Amino acid sequence: MSNILKKEAVYAVTGLVTVLMLVEYFFFENTQIWAETIRTWAVIIFNISLGLGAARLLIQHSMRVQKQGRDWQFSGVLLGIFALMILTGFAGYIATGVQTSNSIYNWLFNYIYTPLSATLYPITGFYIFSAAYRAFRARNLDAALMLIAGCFVMLKNAPVGEAIWIGFATIGNWFQFTGQIPGMRTFAIVGALGLIAYGFRALLGKERGFYAGGGE
Amino acid sequence: MAYPTATLDVIGLWIGWFLMLMIYSYPLYKENITYRFAEYLFIGVTLAITIITNFSNVMRMCITPLMQGNLLMIVPLILGLMIFAMLIPEYRWLSRYPIAILVGAGFGLGIRGTIKPNLQDAIISTITAPTGGALLDWFNYLYVAVGLICSIMYFMLTFEHSGALKTPTRIGRLFIMVGLGAYFGNTVLFRFTMLTGRAQFFLQVLKLIPM
Amino acid sequence: MSLGKLANIDRRVFYWILFIALMVPFLSPIGFPITISPNTQDLYDGVTGDQVAEGEVWIVNFGYGVSAWSDCHPSVTVLTKALFREGAKIIFMGVHYDIELTYNKLQDTCRADFANKVYGEDYVFLGYMTGGESVIAQLGSNIKSVFPQDHFQTPYDDIPMLRNVVDVHDIAGVISSDTGDYGGHFMTQWQAAYGTKLAEAGIAMNGSTDLPRWQAGNFFGVSVGSRGGAELEILIGELGEATTAMDSISVSHLLLVIAIILGNIGTLTEKLGGKK
Repeated sequence: MSNILKKEAVYAVTGLVTVLMLVEYFFFENTQIWAETIRTWAVIIFNISLGLGAARLLIQHSMRVQKQGRDWQFSGVLLGIFALMILTGFAGYIATGVQTSNSIYNWLFNYIYTPLSATLYPITGFYIFSAAYRAFRARNLDAALMLIAGCFVMLKNAPVGEAIWIGFATIGNWFQFTGQIPGMRTFAIVGALGLIAYGFRALLGKERGFYAGGGE
Repeated sequence: MAYPTATLDVIGLWIGWFLMLMIYSYPLYKENITYRFAEYLFIGVTLAITIITNFSNVMRMCITPLMQGNLLMIVPLILGLMIFAMLIPEYRWLSRYPIAILVGAGFGLGIRGTIKPNLQDAIISTITAPTGGALLDWFNYLYVAVGLICSIMYFMLTFEHSGALKTPTRIGRLFIMVGLGAYFGNTVLFRFTMLTGRAQFFLQVLKLIPM
Repeated sequence: MSLGKLANIDRRVFYWILFIALMVPFLSPIGFPITISPNTQDLYDGVTGDQVAEGEVWIVNFGYGVSAWSDCHPSVTVLTKALFREGAKIIFMGVHYDIELTYNKLQDTCRADFANKVYGEDYVFLGYMTGGESVIAQLGSNIKSVFPQDHFQTPYDDIPMLRNVVDVHDIAGVISSDTGDYGGHFMTQWQAAYGTKLAEAGIAMNGSTDLPRWQAGNFFGVSVGSRGGAELEILIGELGEATTAMDSISVSHLLLVIAIILGNIGTLTEKLGGKK
């Protein structure tokens, strides 16, 4: 019985939900109310599940502070700022239903989170620059084609390319609107076929990679 | 947005400026204590914002309707909380049920939604011959058609790329490389635009350019 | 110094060169001309003139956070202005935690247009949602089930412009501005199923996946990153952040292309030197 609850029942739920979504779309619109209900549940579950990653990180950093592990002082900073934001955010939410109504939370959101978020992601721009110089070599035909296409698209995107020579924009436009189409459309088609095949495998209970944990 | 005048806002602006320099001290200098401080600070605030934002979402979509009498909303609430069973080894199997619903809904919606745009429309667009007689249009049409066929053949990984398949799969790979090169060119625009925004912010806080 | 030895320069030198080079054009603007791409022209044509009827409801999806403001926000600013000037009503929503900041910034960049509009009657900010394809599909079936209240806790039924807006059939068009692929979700769940007008004004990286969709007719227009934003600013006749940033983009791209060329010449020189 416990094996059925841990495995077969789970696959059955996956299959039923998948079939419901397909039936609603392709066959019976009358099933829309059930499909809508399941979708609403899926969205709510998705929202709750985002807390799981947060919970894991908090546990990890709390244990690091407790055991005074590597960089435990920084973990302390992390937990401290987390506690401050959580308390002020909930205070604002409880008061008005909007967390940013609390001035401390709002200040931290605007002047701590925003600049850090806006700064961390662009750091990859530096690495692209050094990688382009040190690693992007036209060692064979494949790499040469990739580099040529990349350079022309870059010079098409940047107004300076057209200012230097109109051909950069013309050829760049060709790469942008024709040259890349076979490759990118292939990814879309192959991805769609893969999704359909994978989806039917999950529907039939053959795909079990999502259900790790619990001993089986 | 004009340069702020309120004291706390000006202080916040400069703190943001210094935090930016702390982050950029890593590529521009080397890994150091200020970078790690800023990094951990970011993780802390992001965690808090994640929890609060998703909590308010759950309140809006689930708890409030439940309190207003929609008793069916207890089901997704319980299922969502079952996800946290993943943290307890002996009860980890309970988390499979909410995952099953997410996976099932995702696949069902994905399968039904992908057929028309990613297969039908893409293929029709590829095989639709150009109206009019410009030579370049016909060249482009053949380029895309041949390229698509050869590129798809490249992804037929269950067959060895030898014999009759060797040449078309090799040609397909070249078409894919051209596509990836153009993708790289667009990626560079994205990454450098983000950096440009930061360079602009650097100068704006110093009042060297208007905000 | 030989070209081969250039390959051994500390990478931090490149980072400093790049960082300084990005700032110089802001201090001393150059002003390279910008031509309009057909995908951007189609996008602008799709939100102006006969394409937008007065009173029809559009959705603008903030699928980007503060880090992508420089890429996406100029396009969204122009498209919002264009829709408002045609008399459309707009529902703002988003999938990032910081969309409230984005919404506030939009009110700043479209100040004159928002001044003529009334919240709740001409536009509404529904707030944050998440859930991938499921939430977009559910939004299409029943918008109120995803947003029982707006971001400011006003009940859905108390918002005048939403009284006749139930599902996808009541929405004339969607502008999605993404760092991820919510535009793709709108395409599979809305455009494919119901024929909803859809356009993408996202990051440049998505341009490669979105341009084939525009060519296939799934999107009526695509704006590719900040370049698309600059083109839209020219089309509407109000230059802004994207146009200002284009000089900096030009310098950085030129540096990168020169770096690639120098690196390849260096390798070629080493190879030829080795063969001799």
